[in-house]
Amino acid sequence: MKDVQAVAPEIIVTVVAMLILVADAMLGRRRAATLLPLITVAGLLIALASTLAGAPAGRYFHGFVNVDAFATFFRAVFILLAIFAALVSPEYLARRRVPAGEYYAIICFSTVGAMTIALSADLITLFVGLETMTIPIYVLAGIQRSDRYANEAALKYFLLGAFSSALLLYGFVWLYGIAGSTDFTAIATVLAAQGIATGPTIVALALVTVGLGFKAAVVPFHQWTPDAYDGAPTPATAFMSVGPKAAAFAAILRVLVGALGPLGADWAAVLAVLAAVTMTGGNIVALVQTNTKRMLAYSSIAHTGYILAAVAAAKAGPSAGAAVLFYLFAYGLMNLGAFACLLYLDLEGTRGATLDELNGFARRAPLGALAFAVFLISLTGIPPTIGFVAKFVVIQPVLDAGLAWLAVVIALNAVLAAFYYLRVVVHMYMYEPEGALPPVVGARGLSASLGIASLAVLVLGIVPNSLYEWAKAAALPLVR
Amino acid sequence: MTHILSLLVVIPIAGLIPLWAFRSDERAAKQVAITTTAVELAVSLWMLTQFRVGDPGFQLKEQVGWLPSLGISYFVGVDGISVLLVPMTTLLTFVAVLYSCGGSIKTRIPEYLTAFLLLEIGMVGVFIALDLFLFYVFFELMLIPMYLIIGIWGGPRRIYATLKFVLFTLAGSLIMLVGIVAVYLASADASGTRTLALPELLDIRGRFSGDFQFWVFLAFALAFAIKLPMVPFHTWLPDAHVEAPTAGSVVLAGVLLKAGGYGFLRFALPLFPIGVQAWLPVLILLSVVAILYGAIVSAVQKDLKKLVAYSSVAHMGFVTLGIFILNLQGGVGAVLQMLNHGFVTGALFLFVGIQYEKTHRRMIADLGGLANMWPLYTTFFGVFMLASLGLPGLNGFVGEFLVLLGTFRFPGVPLGGLFWGPLAAIGVILAAVYLLWMFQRVMYGPVRDAYRALPDLSGLELACAVPLLLLTVLLGVFPQPFIAIIEPSVDQVIRLATDPSFMVAVTK
Repeated sequence: MKDVQAVAPEIIVTVVAMLILVADAMLGRRRAATLLPLITVAGLLIALASTLAGAPAGRYFHGFVNVDAFATFFRAVFILLAIFAALVSPEYLARRRVPAGEYYAIICFSTVGAMTIALSADLITLFVGLETMTIPIYVLAGIQRSDRYANEAALKYFLLGAFSSALLLYGFVWLYGIAGSTDFTAIATVLAAQGIATGPTIVALALVTVGLGFKAAVVPFHQWTPDAYDGAPTPATAFMSVGPKAAAFAAILRVLVGALGPLGADWAAVLAVLAAVTMTGGNIVALVQTNTKRMLAYSSIAHTGYILAAVAAAKAGPSAGAAVLFYLFAYGLMNLGAFACLLYLDLEGTRGATLDELNGFARRAPLGALAFAVFLISLTGIPPTIGFVAKFVVIQPVLDAGLAWLAVVIALNAVLAAFYYLRVVVHMYMYEPEGALPPVVGARGLSASLGIASLAVLVLGIVPNSLYEWAKAAALPLVR
Repeated sequence: MTHILSLLVVIPIAGLIPLWAFRSDERAAKQVAITTTAVELAVSLWMLTQFRVGDPGFQLKEQVGWLPSLGISYFVGVDGISVLLVPMTTLLTFVAVLYSCGGSIKTRIPEYLTAFLLLEIGMVGVFIALDLFLFYVFFELMLIPMYLIIGIWGGPRRIYATLKFVLFTLAGSLIMLVGIVAVYLASADASGTRTLALPELLDIRGRFSGDFQFWVFLAFALAFAIKLPMVPFHTWLPDAHVEAPTAGSVVLAGVLLKAGGYGFLRFALPLFPIGVQAWLPVLILLSVVAILYGAIVSAVQKDLKKLVAYSSVAHMGFVTLGIFILNLQGGVGAVLQMLNHGFVTGALFLFVGIQYEKTHRRMIADLGGLANMWPLYTTFFGVFMLASLGLPGLNGFVGEFLVLLGTFRFPGVPLGGLFWGPLAAIGVILAAVYLLWMFQRVMYGPVRDAYRALPDLSGLELACAVPLLLLTVLLGVFPQPFIAIIEPSVDQVIRLATDPSFMVAVTK
């Protein structure tokens, strides 16, 4: 019973997902369109409450599940992101005739997977969580069945995702072979006793890094990202770009910092280089994009690089873990918001707006443009937004770990990113609305949720203390 | 404990609320903005009266924990260096807003005024922040409003200009952010407590090693050199100034550039004495190059606004020269020069703008004979022009004279003050050449028929110009009270920057 209580939030989210499927079948199309998002949000809020009320920290299910501050933080983040995604979607789903029931259910199922990753204490729990999270996302990418690009996106994502899962699993097998256990603590103990890395540990480490690198979209394992993000329906992209990414980093922290912590010296250097390559690669390709959706896809790769830099700085102690968590929260809020702002424009297929189609957007939808501008400025990392605080807390452990060069690379990358983020602002605010522009959709639910989110970006940018405290406390269980 | 400084930060924020409420009523929006900036000006003058002259330390301090888990606080205060820059900022903002409300801005007025109030928060904040994190926040807060002001209400090439401005500035400030974090990490004491508050950092700066100071000073210097701007980072400035609307240029030249010079004096000099010594030759060379290059390039400009913009480069060269010769005359001269440049160049941009509003021409060749029609305009413009070229009796002279005086006393090796001093003095002569020549071409000669019917200064324009003129004369005739305010604090900064206990480390 205690075990069940420990995973109450996961159970609630699963029940919500099934409830949605049943309700979808029973309700008519019109009633479903209004009721399903309500059910989703209400259910997720209950799950959030039960997360925060929380079972006492400890190991459950014979050590397979680890409920600690880290798990609670990530559970809350995943649920919040799912709520945000559910709030911005209804108008788009109705407009594009996307099956709403499946959509919300998929988001909930994927969230359960992500939450499972967060509370995993064992390779098996982690892998189950990872697959539970990813498989619904494959479906989500192709949910607009009649769209060619959506099909392409789903197939690409599925093939590469399956491939990376196989690599990861193979890496887990090697780890099991070395340690004789799938438990993170046991693995860490064996590796610590072993001291220096040997051939088999290197193989395991490489496979795990590559596998998780795929999931988090680390360059050069990112090729699926732009196409998958571009081809998926825009609200789905908004969710895909943040939820699974945060989950991938939860996995990276649990496996690399937790289980493979004793090999820190080996993987930290590799991750530092990967981080630099990822942020630079993502930003440079984003520079030349003319479609905002694709641009945001590449920019999300760049943000992976910033987060990875903080992971690479793990030897700086708790501040590194806190930086990862804080950045993931900030990134989730602002990136989901930025993608969701594209929902104001009614475009055919799954396409996002081109820069020219955003001309004079500030005149056509003043509040939408303002929210978009706030998210973009936050993504750039300019105060007083949460994005700036996030950059600050990331640079801190990176310098502390002696990676001064990486800190400079982060700073220079932020300038590169400023160019393409602010170019969007230029098009929205500094060009007149001329030529054939897509119609602007008046969407009250969307505006309300984006308004709250952009306000949160500003408020948390001005008073970030409690969030940082929380992230710091949540990162503590990782450090031994 | 008073809250005057926080009040200065809060007033523009408070002004945003009625401005938002009146966003569809242009008249009311203008009144709100003018009232807000006027109140801000009044409070800043009140703050000036509360300042105890002769005390070199920080006054009117306020400190509240902000990010206690990181040891970062909201910490503000003023000393002799910043106490005059704050009223200068509020005055120029008031003038800029007043002038903009006279009809030179025609579209999206409430948004424009919102940008100005946001800008004012950043500008005032930069001069009062005593915590590096807070300083950085305000430093960057100036960026986005100015980006919008140039980009939305600017001239034909505004988008190129504004992106260039933002990217240059951002590149510098992000490098500085890395430097700030490095300082933060280095500030850790045995128990791991860290801080970014300036007074505490000054107490523990002995922990900063030579290598550390070398690199971190560079990081700070890059940000300030781009903002100031120093040659060769100045290329954003002519573009930004030419494309910015008049009020934007006034504030950009008058206040934003000062943030760079102020940053050097407030943070880079006292915190990193070894870094300063290491980079000193380069910085002095670049300052003198800026003075000469700015003057020569100004002389060949065909565009009136661009001429004033390049003259800014030369004037700011005097500011950096005054700062980096590291003696009292130079430092006081640099602060005075910042104030003077704020009033005089701000006024020159204002008058170029007034002129452009009437004639719609900015090319010097298209103008001429304006003195015949506009006696009032010509008088004002003439006085500001003479102040800019450093005529004794007007403010420009005092700052440049002190800087030159200090430069001649500069003991550097191998090239000392006797080398740099005359070179910089040539800059003063060149300033007379390009400014007088410009004045002659614009004001005298035959007047074009098309301009004959154009009116002289309006009441509003006069209201904008008179306070600047009074200060120009006042600072020129009675500089002593101002020097008395500035001197003790500058003296302290110079002492910190030339602390002999650090000089030993350099020679080692």
